[in-house]
Amino acid sequence: MNLAVGLNHFLLLGALLFVCGAVCMATKRNAIGILMGVELVLNAATINFVAFAYYNPIFQVEGQIFALFVIVLAAAEAAIALAIVLNFYNNHMTVDVDTAEELKG
Amino acid sequence: MMNLLELFGEHPGWYFVAATLVPLFSFVLILLASAMWCATRPFRDTPAGAALFNLFGGEERGRTPAYIATGAIALAFVFSLIGFILFTAQQSQFETEITKHERTLYELRTKAATAQGEDKEKAEESLEAEEHQLEQKEKRWADAREKMWQGHLDWLRIRPAGISDPDNGTVLQLGFKIDSLSALMFVMVTFIATLIHLFSIGYMSDELQPEVEDHQVHTAYGHLQRRGRFGRFFMYLSLFCFSMLNLVLADNLFQVFLSWELVGICSYLLVGFYFERQSASNAANKAFITNRIGDAGFILGLLILWTNLGTFNFDQIFQRVRAPLTDAHGSVNMAGRFVRGEVAQEGSPKFTTQEHGAQILIFPRKPPEHYHALVKNVAQDPKPDQHSWMPYWMLVAAGLGIFLGCVGKSAQFPLQVWLPDAMEGPTPVSALIHAATMVAAGVYLVGRCYPLFTYEALLVIAYTGGITLFVAATIAIVMTDIKKVLAYSTVSQLGYMMLALGVGGWVAGLFHLMTHAFFKALLFLGSGSVIYGCHHEQDMLKMGGLYPKMKITALTMLTGVLAIAGIPLFTGWYSKDAILAQALGFVYVHPQHLFLFLLPLVTAGITAFYMSRLWLMTFTGKPRDEHVYEHAHESPWTMTVPLIALAVCSVCVAWGWPIYDAESSWLESNVHHAQHHAVLADFGNIDYSVSEDHGEYWTVAKKAEENERLYAHHNHHLAGNLALGLVAIGIVFAGLIYWKRVLDPAEAKEQFPGLHAFLMDKWRFDWLYSVIVVRPALVVGHWFAWFDLHVIDGIIHLVARISVLVSKWDGVFDNNVVDGLVNLVGNVTYDVGARLRNVQTGFLRSYVLFLVLAAAGIFMVLAYFVRMATAG
Repeated sequence: MNLAVGLNHFLLLGALLFVCGAVCMATKRNAIGILMGVELVLNAATINFVAFAYYNPIFQVEGQIFALFVIVLAAAEAAIALAIVLNFYNNHMTVDVDTAEELKG
Repeated sequence: MMNLLELFGEHPGWYFVAATLVPLFSFVLILLASAMWCATRPFRDTPAGAALFNLFGGEERGRTPAYIATGAIALAFVFSLIGFILFTAQQSQFETEITKHERTLYELRTKAATAQGEDKEKAEESLEAEEHQLEQKEKRWADAREKMWQGHLDWLRIRPAGISDPDNGTVLQLGFKIDSLSALMFVMVTFIATLIHLFSIGYMSDELQPEVEDHQVHTAYGHLQRRGRFGRFFMYLSLFCFSMLNLVLADNLFQVFLSWELVGICSYLLVGFYFERQSASNAANKAFITNRIGDAGFILGLLILWTNLGTFNFDQIFQRVRAPLTDAHGSVNMAGRFVRGEVAQEGSPKFTTQEHGAQILIFPRKPPEHYHALVKNVAQDPKPDQHSWMPYWMLVAAGLGIFLGCVGKSAQFPLQVWLPDAMEGPTPVSALIHAATMVAAGVYLVGRCYPLFTYEALLVIAYTGGITLFVAATIAIVMTDIKKVLAYSTVSQLGYMMLALGVGGWVAGLFHLMTHAFFKALLFLGSGSVIYGCHHEQDMLKMGGLYPKMKITALTMLTGVLAIAGIPLFTGWYSKDAILAQALGFVYVHPQHLFLFLLPLVTAGITAFYMSRLWLMTFTGKPRDEHVYEHAHESPWTMTVPLIALAVCSVCVAWGWPIYDAESSWLESNVHHAQHHAVLADFGNIDYSVSEDHGEYWTVAKKAEENERLYAHHNHHLAGNLALGLVAIGIVFAGLIYWKRVLDPAEAKEQFPGLHAFLMDKWRFDWLYSVIVVRPALVVGHWFAWFDLHVIDGIIHLVARISVLVSKWDGVFDNNVVDGLVNLVGNVTYDVGARLRNVQTGFLRSYVLFLVLAAAGIFMVLAYFVRMATAG
């Protein structure tokens, strides 16, 4: 059995991490928890980028640059999202996202 | 500038044109200034706007319009005076030369008649030479006159279809022609108008206030308050003066008609100056409508002349209907008369002269060398050198039509009713209308058109004048309103003028027009001064004893009274005697028209009576109303100066040398120069016995006993002394009643209540017109109103109801079918939306779940397609 770590392992890890993040977003009622899920999903994508960059010479530069992009994006997203959460808390005195139902049809 | 001076030097007639245009300029200036005032008023709060607004008068509007208008008419007077002096100088020079020639001619003629043999031949030769010279001189004078004192321009050319020649076709012209009549009229009108303008500055000063209270108009909030109309008054006066001067200036009937209507509208505006008063607006309407009746006749006359003669020019009309005086061979026998006859239509039409023929000969536009031949070839559509003809009755109708216009304008029977009512206007307007302008226009036009009037028309004119002068004078006896007395006296005096024109006293009538203008303006302005001094009291029953309070007014008015009564050496004496003498001459030749002498003779006495009554009631005796008497005062100098000037004119203007000779008046001889030879042909003798009888026209020579003018001349003093006797009786009678109070007028009133009421009702003319015209018109109007209300309104209501019904059905369709479809679409959309909204749960987590599921779904579908693609 070839136990050398290959591309598929990384993709598997990325998929696993993505599913974890998605489940986290879909199940957590705490807004901070949902943000964590988002971070997981983003990191899953980063893993994929880096993995492709490593194993495929065509994407050597692009994959790494995109990974950096995603990290910066995640930082910016976190800043904005935390600000939203803070405002949400000010309005509802809680961070339970189920209380945000103004968009209900 | 030089060009202008040269123009006036070479064509001095332009002085009169300038005099006409100056008041028009003043009118336009005041009109534009008022327009600018109105336009800038909304912006008076801004600095620039305020400057402009104040330039055009501002809130406190001053006397500027009065100064502009008065300056303009004074300038017009100066122009007229210069023109008049130039004209008279030229004319008198010509007269002197002609007289000199005629004297030589007379001497040569006697010599030729008495001499024998060789001497006779020589004398005849020099006689011929002299005659030729005189003829040349007369021709030169006529040419110079045409160049200097006449002018015209084409205003509108009406070309028959198919003719492109720009000079062909009939033409409406604007032009001017000055003869001694129009020159005199110009000086008289502008002089009196200047004085009236000056008088108005004082009289109308109430109108200067921003708020004027009209005590005669009652509204729900007390007396009417309105803005003062000082500028408007002077604007109207300027337009009035322009119209009148243009009327006098005109050389054609069309221009006269234009000015005629302008004068009419000005009188309407000025009579209705206080238009908030019901009586004033009624009077203005009455004046205007009455004049329309006259103008209908005027237009008919114009149409007849235009159709038959194709021209409105006075000279051309007269030249075509009246036979010429002379031709290449000497005098023409029908000289200056109408030529009547019959037209035979076999082949080319031929005109045969007969004394009472139904047709009248129209002379060619281009005068031929010689007019002889009893039978003439005539043409329906004549070339310039061909004779034509028209029915005689049509010429009579044209004359009567034009006279009807004059009847309206000059307030003659039966259209005299408007003039006394026109007293509702401000008093200076009464003076301007009744003395110098509007009413003078009618008499002036009858004088101008004299050669158009046939014997029948002249008789109608004479009788109209005779009836008018008597009726108006009798009404004036009982009137107590000072202005109404003067109004009726004006109507009466205009009757005198018309009568004079009708009986052949052309000079006498127009002479009286001139003198009357002066003393009637004086009397009206005097009455204005009295009214102003008595604080707008017009009733003589409240006056009396005013002499010490207003001496200037009283004395100047006395001058006017004596002048109109015909006291020797006053202007009225010269002109009235001339009229009476002419009437006497006419009655002598035509005894069946005796009334044409008796009426004016008796009326001379009546005139003296009622004018003395007016003066005595106003100025002498005990005051009848203490309140009026105490507040009475003399008027300011702007009002008394015109009075004095007019009083001087009322005395002196007709003087001649020697002044005690009633026939030697300078003014009369001046009017005489303008007399058309047709007057002499109709009523006198044109002495052409000198020349041989070349013409083959049938001859009507006036013998001495048929000569009205000759008889009038010989019996001038008889007529004058008869009238003077009656005048004396009238004055003594008035003095006995109103000064010495020997007789009581109230007793006379009680003795003849019917007569008094009849006269107070103005011979019931207003009642008569009300019965035969106004009320039938109202009845017919009510019929039409009924028709309108029931038939026309019924039809309209029916149509309306049908429309409503149709609309109702239309509404039902609209509400149900059209709206139903639209609503259905809306409802369906709404329902779908309501169902779909449930999908939006609002839960963040469910959105994420769907997002993930969707992403997964998409991924699976994509994977499926990729597999299919790679497998295939």
